[in-house]
Amino acid sequence: MRALLIDDERLARLELRRLLTSHPEVEIAGEARTGEEALALIAETDPDLLFLDIQMPGMTGLELLEKLEDVPQVIFTTAYDEYAIRAFEVNALDYLLKPIVPARLAAALARVRPRAERSRLEQVFVRDGERCWIVRLPEIFLLESEGNYTRVCFGAERPLIRRSLNALEEQLDPGMFFRAGRREIINLRWIEKVDMAVSGGLVVTLRGGRTVEMSRRQSTRLKEILSL
Amino acid sequence: MKRRVSYWLCQILGWGAYSVVGVLMAAQYVGWLPSLVIGFALFFCYSIALTDLLRREIRRRPALSSPRGWSWLVLFLLPPALAAVQTFLVAAFNVALRQFESAAMRTRLPSIISRPADLLNTWTSITAADIVWLLLYLALTSTRRFQEKELRLQLSLREAELRALEAQMNPHFLFNSLNSIRALVLEDPQQAQDMITRLANILRYNLHRDMDHTVPLASEVEVVEDYLALEAMRLEERLRVRLEIDPAAARIPIPPMLLQSLVENAIKHGIAPRPDGGDLIISAKLAGDNLNLLVNNPGSIVEPARDSTKVGLANTRERLRILYGSRASLDLRNCDGGGVAAVVLLPKAL
Repeated sequence: MRALLIDDERLARLELRRLLTSHPEVEIAGEARTGEEALALIAETDPDLLFLDIQMPGMTGLELLEKLEDVPQVIFTTAYDEYAIRAFEVNALDYLLKPIVPARLAAALARVRPRAERSRLEQVFVRDGERCWIVRLPEIFLLESEGNYTRVCFGAERPLIRRSLNALEEQLDPGMFFRAGRREIINLRWIEKVDMAVSGGLVVTLRGGRTVEMSRRQSTRLKEILSL
Repeated sequence: MKRRVSYWLCQILGWGAYSVVGVLMAAQYVGWLPSLVIGFALFFCYSIALTDLLRREIRRRPALSSPRGWSWLVLFLLPPALAAVQTFLVAAFNVALRQFESAAMRTRLPSIISRPADLLNTWTSITAADIVWLLLYLALTSTRRFQEKELRLQLSLREAELRALEAQMNPHFLFNSLNSIRALVLEDPQQAQDMITRLANILRYNLHRDMDHTVPLASEVEVVEDYLALEAMRLEERLRVRLEIDPAAARIPIPPMLLQSLVENAIKHGIAPRPDGGDLIISAKLAGDNLNLLVNNPGSIVEPARDSTKVGLANTRERLRILYGSRASLDLRNCDGGGVAAVVLLPKAL
């Protein structure tokens, strides 16, 4: 699994590199000192995993994630950053406190899976005011267009991301997501019930109660996919 | 709650004593008349009620609760006025209660209204009682207010102390330093040892210092140098320091952590956020009877400044004010030649 070390402090990167020597499955694909450097390096090396410092000059770790379309798995490293950690407490992402305890590093790495299919989006980074999430796609049951933004629906959260629904659609796995209409993409695994509408199209009810009405054309396609 | 209980206790004991003495003295002359006893019992009740009303009025009006100038005069016109009301009530009840005494008694003892000398005596002695009441009230409230003020002052000092400690023991700095040292242990053991010693110095300086006293500038500069060495370990070539300390200024007493907190601010806002870092200039010069401390870093003051910084600066100013009054100052300003300068002016002696 290919990893990048992103930290403005040389010694912090050195320390992490040394800690990672006991994890031969992690291949260090590069190091970056700033968010800018990291962006270039991510484009170049397409890593599976980022070790990311939150406090960096120029661009913080969170700002870096916002600039990424396809977010690799992330393990945050921070010395003491109450604010940033609180932002993530909601979905308990992995973060390591410096100095890093080797056992905690091992536990964090155990949860990281190498990406199966390169071309597909696996998770998105979402920031809504003070709160942040890295959402795995299977957790998202609905993506709704709001102009140039897209509303991401998962759990009880409905934050917006700054990407259009059309742009997102190209990167989604067609086996999981289905363009139900002009404004909606639904997650097929979240479908609970499919009814016939008066208009002749289908009405899909998602787990959690949300319903989406589809055009005739899309209804035919959905029937094919679900082989109804 | 406790204060309320003691207030009512004072009211009951004070007016109770006054009424009991009054009833005993009067009984010697006229005997134990029911109208006398009931009259004094009523006096006890409405005196408490009236003085409580007085208290409420005083509390409601700042001019009376913390009097100065003319309001003192108004304040001391209150007891005679109140006594007049009480005297009027005494007379009124006396007239009313007499109806229940025997006719013989009524002829032997004419009503108080027909005896102006007794009325005057009653008014003077009640006035005296009301003045005592007012003096006690003023004395107790001002003591309490003084204690509260003292307490608040202590509290703000402690708070300043705590904030300075927090700022210095900046956990971000502490844990980052420890992390870097951990990396250094293998890379450069000798430097790692040096860094541990410096970190120990900083910790000791923080734990042992006393916020109410001063330290010679030289001792503070030593700690600042330790701090800068640790930051340089993390920031490496991004931190470039120029230290210009006038040897003549070395012994000047300064409040502990004063220079340190300015340097820390400069690194936090002026150096660390810049990918290329910058120059940090620290200078201490004597200028006449003053010590002039300057900390200069790149960047410009961003408004609104971060809250923590604002609080930090306000606390430092407050400490300077407590120690030196208006003889010391702290300014944060954009420099003509670029960058931000924190400038402190201190008198050479406390």
